[in-house]
Amino acid sequence: MRTRGEALRQTRVVDLSDDKSIYGVKLLADLGADVVRPEPESGDPLRTRGPFDEVSGESLWYSFFASSRRHFAVNETSSASLYELNALLGCADLCFIGKENALADRVNVQAALTRNPKLVVVDVSPFGSSGPWCDFKAPDLVASALGGSSGITGDEYTSPLKLFGELNFTISGAYAATAALAGLNHAQKTGEGQHIEVPVHECIASSLEHVFMWYYYHKHFPNARARALERRGSLHWTNLYVVMPTKDGAMMVTPTPNVEAQLAWLIEEDAYQDLLDPKFEEPENRRRYFERLMEVIREWVATEETEELFYKAQERHAPYGWVQTVAQVANNPQLKARSWWQATKVGDRKVRGPGVPFQFKSTPARVTDPEWLATDTSSVLDTVGWEK
Amino acid sequence: MRPLEGIRILDFTHVLAGPFCTRLLGDMGADVVKVNSVKRAAANNAPNSPYYAIWNRNKRALALDMSHDDAKDVAISLAHQADVVIDNFSLGVLDRWGIGFDQISATNDQVIYVQMSGMGSGGPWSDFVTYAPTIHALAGLTYTTGVPDGGPIGLGFSYNDHQAGLHGAVAILSAIEARRQTGKGQQIDLSQFEVGTAMIGVSLLDYFVNGKEAHPCGNRLPYDMFAPHGCYECRSEGDDILDERWLAIVCRDDEEWQSLCSVMGDPEWCRSEKFLSAKSRSEHADEIDDHINAWTKEQDANELMYELQDAGVPAGTVQTGIDLVESDPQLQAHDFITSMDESHPALGETFADRLPIYFDKTPCETYKRSRVLGEDNVDVLADWLGMSKEAVHDGEEAGFLT
Repeated sequence: MRTRGEALRQTRVVDLSDDKSIYGVKLLADLGADVVRPEPESGDPLRTRGPFDEVSGESLWYSFFASSRRHFAVNETSSASLYELNALLGCADLCFIGKENALADRVNVQAALTRNPKLVVVDVSPFGSSGPWCDFKAPDLVASALGGSSGITGDEYTSPLKLFGELNFTISGAYAATAALAGLNHAQKTGEGQHIEVPVHECIASSLEHVFMWYYYHKHFPNARARALERRGSLHWTNLYVVMPTKDGAMMVTPTPNVEAQLAWLIEEDAYQDLLDPKFEEPENRRRYFERLMEVIREWVATEETEELFYKAQERHAPYGWVQTVAQVANNPQLKARSWWQATKVGDRKVRGPGVPFQFKSTPARVTDPEWLATDTSSVLDTVGWEK
Repeated sequence: MRPLEGIRILDFTHVLAGPFCTRLLGDMGADVVKVNSVKRAAANNAPNSPYYAIWNRNKRALALDMSHDDAKDVAISLAHQADVVIDNFSLGVLDRWGIGFDQISATNDQVIYVQMSGMGSGGPWSDFVTYAPTIHALAGLTYTTGVPDGGPIGLGFSYNDHQAGLHGAVAILSAIEARRQTGKGQQIDLSQFEVGTAMIGVSLLDYFVNGKEAHPCGNRLPYDMFAPHGCYECRSEGDDILDERWLAIVCRDDEEWQSLCSVMGDPEWCRSEKFLSAKSRSEHADEIDDHINAWTKEQDANELMYELQDAGVPAGTVQTGIDLVESDPQLQAHDFITSMDESHPALGETFADRLPIYFDKTPCETYKRSRVLGEDNVDVLADWLGMSKEAVHDGEEAGFLT
């Protein structure tokens, strides 16, 4: 057992997740849980996910998502090795299972739950174990399409788009971590473990902000022309948040929450055009007023330098957002001031890497170096150090 | 019994990120007391708004006008009974009310405080005002979500609010687990900006390690050689953009590619050498997309999806909100959309998209409608503080429980 100071230092996790929940296990590992990730002797297939370190050839995808774990190889042809793998579940608090994990079908979950009644198993799959689509294959793009996020991403001149990278699977991953900790809470209080299913499809569908509201309550919204909103770029369902081009880049602009203050700012800048026309005071013209306000702001923003405009807006408590590239995010002064970046081991080097998105004052979370346990899995339990 | 029964949460959050966090905890059985007031109950924070109704189910409603000293006294007493106090105000608001972490933890050392601010405590941007679209822009999500050379398109919904809410739930439950070991609560500083930045963690690592910067890549994956990997237009059901039908198709290996070719009827172009390997297919992805678009454009998206899935090819129709509610057989099989337990006083029948977590021993099947302002004053203050009904009514008449 490792001795660490983080929130979950007493929590033992067997990580048989695939790409749909590996982010959730990362959250727990960075919070100090003792996470062991078995993999076949041929290597974890997720180690082939790009990008790669151009020096060592190591997968950076894996370095990020499989952080803070202990790893060991399982000889799938050895009954002793497989016995040890299953025995590990007998001493664990949590086990994450993903259908596409290379070893998922080598553990007997039901037997483990019987042997270890406090065990909580979190089973994350595209659609759950029942229903007409339960055997469908759904990598991130397909999950995004069926789950509804692609339908509201993209613009009228593009196809529906997926969110960059694997943002749908980080949603299901975060749900999986939440489920695991809720199950753990119950197990700690009552001694009762359980099996928990987390369907990715429903995780995505439940994280679409306005979509169900629009369907059920569209009559409450004067700009609703149907029970669904079309894909329309960055334009928010309120019509009051949108990305606009600036002189040298792009800015997410909104006149909320204080529309009067935005108008006052436009007046100061002598950029208010016809916004003071009394016709806009008439209740029937209020919708037109907001449309015109956004048009006027767009024309004004196009003449402004991005960085200067951003700081001027924030000084006025206007929640503008400077559209930042990856390099700009990497050099962000706020992240630096909060010491957010953490040393991450890649190959033989220590490099700067993403930190942990919460600061616990008493039990700080941190990304730790991966540890490689012996490949001799005939004594995995001894190597791991968990009590039998 | 639900898995979080017995946990008391004093909830000062508003808009989406915070309320989504406490909704998750309420769905799983925590006793979430949502604090609001007549003065703050406007726009999306008004209990009669559909937005509020969606994110505040399974909570109890307490009205506290914090401009009154008597309300602050009640809040202090509640914080002493709470397992968790959560807010997403600007920094320092709870301190000014006398219910900050230092003030309460002096006598309730088990309490857990979660501050879900935009930028976190400390740093040159800590006072910046943010909503989810602001965070998307600052964290690189807006820039990276788009098509090559197309300018930033970004996200059309508040993705990061959901992520921040989920991360808040993970943080709270982890702190409860830590408290079980140490006997002590603690303060958690959750920066929604850092949550958003973590979402492009792989690209940031690539930038630091290799000096390479990620750019928008449409529906392709930024690093892996999967082709086809896109959304293809199928037969439209009308002239409106909402009538368009699209099908996402992905081939991750030779087997899926061969299956796709077979469903397409093994056209001659498929046999070209340039499409034989994953690497080569990736290099000629645009050409493949053109062929597939020509093949799909007159076909029914749903029929094609079933045909491809039957053949082992990952495929899925691009669903709108209408599809999700009216025709998604998977969601229907799981009763994903359900009615709230009772009629809402202002909105009538209201609906819940169910918690996508299925516990086999502690199922979470309770969906109580969101409550109107102060609707649970009597019950909450009796349960948490032992106040009499008369005392609560006096407070309501005096104006501080409103």
